[in-house]
Amino acid sequence: MAEAAPVNPDVELVARTQAGDARAFDELVVKYTPRLYGLVYNMTSNHEDSNDLLQEVFAKAFRSIMGFRGRSSFYTWIHSIAVNMTINFLKKRGRRFQMSLDDVDLNIQNDKEFIELTASSSPVREADLAELQQKLNEAMLKLSPEHRAVVTMFDIQGMPHAEISKVLGVSEGTIRSRLFYAHRQLQAHLDEFRKR
Amino acid sequence: MQEDHENLSKLLRLKRFEQPPPEYFESFLQEFKDRQRSQLLRDPAWRIAWDRVCAFLGEQMPARLGYGLASTAVLVAAAIASFNILESRPVEIASVPDRQPAQTASLNLNTQVQLPDLPSLVRSTAHTASISPPRYVMDTRPVSYEPPSSF
Repeated sequence: MAEAAPVNPDVELVARTQAGDARAFDELVVKYTPRLYGLVYNMTSNHEDSNDLLQEVFAKAFRSIMGFRGRSSFYTWIHSIAVNMTINFLKKRGRRFQMSLDDVDLNIQNDKEFIELTASSSPVREADLAELQQKLNEAMLKLSPEHRAVVTMFDIQGMPHAEISKVLGVSEGTIRSRLFYAHRQLQAHLDEFRKR
Repeated sequence: MQEDHENLSKLLRLKRFEQPPPEYFESFLQEFKDRQRSQLLRDPAWRIAWDRVCAFLGEQMPARLGYGLASTAVLVAAAIASFNILESRPVEIASVPDRQPAQTASLNLNTQVQLPDLPSLVRSTAHTASISPPRYVMDTRPVSYEPPSSF
């Protein structure tokens, strides 16, 4: 006899929210805040803007949850809201803004990839963490909002192409071509830093 | 080239270590609830309904198409409503000139008024009374205030 498929806990939380249980939505907020914060923050490079946007994202999701029919996962659905709202925000914000960066977690010193990078690449080894962070964010901000969204989801958050294509509502081919173009641009922006 | 690409990916992954202080996530939910309550008092009902329509359509189809269809639906509904309003107006305007000559005629004291023939009027009234059923006007107040269970 086939085993029953495991029930996605989000499905139950969404159903309870739709039935009027606001505490179920609170659980979804707590569960997805860190991940969505990472998405919005890495697209805006500004903590205060990220906080405001994230508040609006959850408010919009709560207002719209009665229209959510479960054709996609809640995770994909709320990611779409966050990405679309952030892209709209970035287009309105334009170039006039200041970066407001979060601190780098000191656990980075124990990260395998960081150790590898500092061992193999002299610029990274020589640069202090703050400089590295500044350069990375500057390079990211030179990308268009759409390209930044793809780089954030793929390179920083580790989402697969298929999931990103569902979130953005475009084909996987488009995701791959946006990534290719974005990487080429980022490499050009970071070249000066990397070849120092 | 491949090595450059891998190094770039590793560099970008380091951005995961940019984190707000831990207490930020702890207080986020409370801030969300506070903002939500104050926003509920400010947001009009149409905006909430609009968000639900967009969410429903957005789930069925790509976002841009969903917004486009929702906007078109609203425009079509508005066009139909305005068409109905315009269509009903000429009837009201057309009925006004019919009434005005009657009013002016009744005010003109020099006009000779032709009264109907009295015997024929009586005959027609009697004829109508014989055909139409009797009409009773019921009083809205009941005869008795006693409850029906007393029967």
